[in-house]
Amino acid sequence: MASEVEDGSCFHCLQPIPHGIELSVAFQGEDKAVCCAGCQAVAETIIEHGLTAYYKHRDLDKPQQAPLLPEQLKELDVYDNPDVQSDFVRKTGHNSKQTTLTVNNITCGACAWLIERELAKTPGIIKSVVNVSNQRLHIEWNSDVVKLSDIIARLARIGYQALPFQQNQIEADINARRKGFIKRLGVAGLATMQVMMIAFALYFGVVSDLDSTTQQYLWVVSLVFATPVIFYSGQPFYKSALKSIQAGSVNMDVPVSIALIGAYLASLYAVIIGRGEVYFESISMFTFFLLTGRFLELLAKEKALKFSTNRLTYMPNLAHREYQGGLEDIAAKQLKVNDTIVIKPGETIPADGVLLSDKAAVDESLLTGESRPVTKATGDGIVAGSVNQSATLRIKVTATAQQTVLAGIVAMQDAALADKPKVQKAIDHIAQYFVMTLLVIAAGTFLVWSWIDPEHALWVTLAVLVATCPCALSLAAPTSITGAVHRLNRMNVLVKGAQLLESVKQLDTVVFDKTGTLTFGQFKLISREDFSDVAKTNAIVSGLEQRSEHPIAAALADLSEQPIQPDEVKNHPGQGIAACIQGTDYRLGRVEFIQTWHPNWRAKPHSNVILASRQAVLAEFQVDDQVREDSHEVISALKRQGIRTIMLTGDSDARAQKLAKALGVDEVLSEQSPADKVDTIKRLQQQSRTVWMVGDGINDSPVLAQADLSMTFAHASDMAQTAADVVLLNDQLTRVLDVIETARKTRVIMRENFIWAAGYNLSILPIAALGLVAPWAAALGMSLSSLVVVANSLRLYRL
Amino acid sequence: MSVIYALIPVAILFVILAVVIFFWAVRSNQFEDIERQGMNILMDDDDEKEQTKSTHDRSD
Repeated sequence: MASEVEDGSCFHCLQPIPHGIELSVAFQGEDKAVCCAGCQAVAETIIEHGLTAYYKHRDLDKPQQAPLLPEQLKELDVYDNPDVQSDFVRKTGHNSKQTTLTVNNITCGACAWLIERELAKTPGIIKSVVNVSNQRLHIEWNSDVVKLSDIIARLARIGYQALPFQQNQIEADINARRKGFIKRLGVAGLATMQVMMIAFALYFGVVSDLDSTTQQYLWVVSLVFATPVIFYSGQPFYKSALKSIQAGSVNMDVPVSIALIGAYLASLYAVIIGRGEVYFESISMFTFFLLTGRFLELLAKEKALKFSTNRLTYMPNLAHREYQGGLEDIAAKQLKVNDTIVIKPGETIPADGVLLSDKAAVDESLLTGESRPVTKATGDGIVAGSVNQSATLRIKVTATAQQTVLAGIVAMQDAALADKPKVQKAIDHIAQYFVMTLLVIAAGTFLVWSWIDPEHALWVTLAVLVATCPCALSLAAPTSITGAVHRLNRMNVLVKGAQLLESVKQLDTVVFDKTGTLTFGQFKLISREDFSDVAKTNAIVSGLEQRSEHPIAAALADLSEQPIQPDEVKNHPGQGIAACIQGTDYRLGRVEFIQTWHPNWRAKPHSNVILASRQAVLAEFQVDDQVREDSHEVISALKRQGIRTIMLTGDSDARAQKLAKALGVDEVLSEQSPADKVDTIKRLQQQSRTVWMVGDGINDSPVLAQADLSMTFAHASDMAQTAADVVLLNDQLTRVLDVIETARKTRVIMRENFIWAAGYNLSILPIAALGLVAPWAAALGMSLSSLVVVANSLRLYRL
Repeated sequence: MSVIYALIPVAILFVILAVVIFFWAVRSNQFEDIERQGMNILMDDDDEKEQTKSTHDRSD
């Protein structure tokens, strides 16, 4: 853990300080440099409130996030609306309320301490508990004294984004199961220690004068300790075994249960009749090992689930409805068809409707993935979830909540998820043969021995049961899967679905979305051509673009640090912008817009933004969605591995083809709607291809659900993250290759585990059937083989 | 040797006690957030030190 902030990085957020910024905060008599006014404000609040211990103990290795900017605080009032609150707040008393918020930038224990201290100083807070591993904050407050929005704003001032989220039922179940597992593990662990201690005394002559009464006594003590292990700790295995038998199949828990219960009953019988063999230490230890394997698997699953639940932050959609001549704020879900609503600039549209205003520009990127505003005229349809990019709009509602286009996409996603090809787990396949073989061999051993030596028949059969308990075999899969999940987590890749390992075997097609996946999804200046003074051009262009709302404008608005402020700015929608600067008329816009002034002039093929005065063309710019640097590398690496690459996009054919050619993608399908994309994947799957999909938009969520395995990025829409099996947290496309490599490596390790475990069971079986395996040898052999499996899986932890 | 007849039952009682305490710890959510607890003790200590220091400052 680093303890000093590096030179040149911000004291609060640890990001590099941009050139020319000279801000600082006083911390313990020293001036510490910070990167922005936001960090300065946050650090000052923390120091002022006497919470400086935070800076001493925080974990500097983990990235801190930039603080929430103050303008985002204004919208928090929505969370005080009772309609909105009813979805995530519980009333616990007359005026006390409680809720759980997700705080996505909690990185270590110091953050938890800081939040709790800050809230403890807030009047009206009854209780606040931070959970670091879940990144959650549980609070109870007095709603007469303090408002929820105040609490959230207070946390924002010390640099934390707390937001309500949609609770997940599966999560509550997993939580309960986890607690059960910890208790079962504790009992199995404590009891196993005692039984092993006694087993030492029994087998290795630690007690020299071991007479038969003492032996009988030690057996009874072992029985006392092993009983809760079998009846309490082992329960998950029996339940799972019963469930699989009821479902008409057999899983690995069936042979495990047979061995555990069989060995326990036979040992119990030995204790009662006072002779024979007991295997209490073996069965206690097996239970402990197996539980540990299951527990680790559960933890990995829980982590992924919590991550995705934290992403499902609750979006309070308030609508401004025209009502009796005025405006009233109501929750979007209470809107009715034919209501008239008003949408202010920058707000998200809460329901589908038709436009009543003359014209509008809306950003439908949530649905289409394309971040260019769409121009609408009176009577045009407006889709819920798009963002108003023009002046205040009026809309007549035509569909709300469940009937909106957005809800339709959710439904499509659910249908695709249900339709997804299922893969049978390899391990359950093995289990079926295993159970039959186990039962046949045990029965055979008993029959043969009853004929040779009835006295020993039961004890030899018992030894066979213990020797064949597929302990190592059932650890083979979970330990290697957990290892793979941890390895990927360390590469900042989150794994949610278990399909990864099964689907990598036949992987032959990877489908990419274009915008936001192969490209960054943001407009950037790619190239330029100047025909006059560059500095002056830059000043003019950034002055003009700062007055434009077109998304391309953002890419050019920062060209100059001293923009020239234009006069008489006039927007020509779909064309460009015109203005007068110091008596000269300028135009900035698309080629056709400029050609009305300079009809004979021809632009360079890729240029799409041109600056001109009436006299001459001054500069050409190519502003485009920038291709990720690693896209080319990923595509060519996949091709080398013989994997077919396909690009799916809702974008126009010309643009898509151009990019595809540059990257070397095998096949391009353009102008695809979300439904088309799902059909494309289905068609590929019907040709018995195994398809992985990488995408990021809401419109991608159904297709992500349909693919055999899907990946998305951390910046992707919440819905895409819910639908995807794998989330690439650090926004690098090359991680796709790492995921494939890790999955392949894991399969190799898993196969080695299987071979070793099955080999061990097979080779000890004849020896046990001959009656040559003593109880201590059986226990030792089984533990060693399990440890080998675990050690082999641990190789996955090494990067 | 006969001492084990008395000592082992005592050991069993200790183990039962340990299990009871362990169950209580699980039930009172002490295993909910293991990452955090190691840090907790540091944070509280420091805070007190800071407070005593500042009272000293004031008395000076």
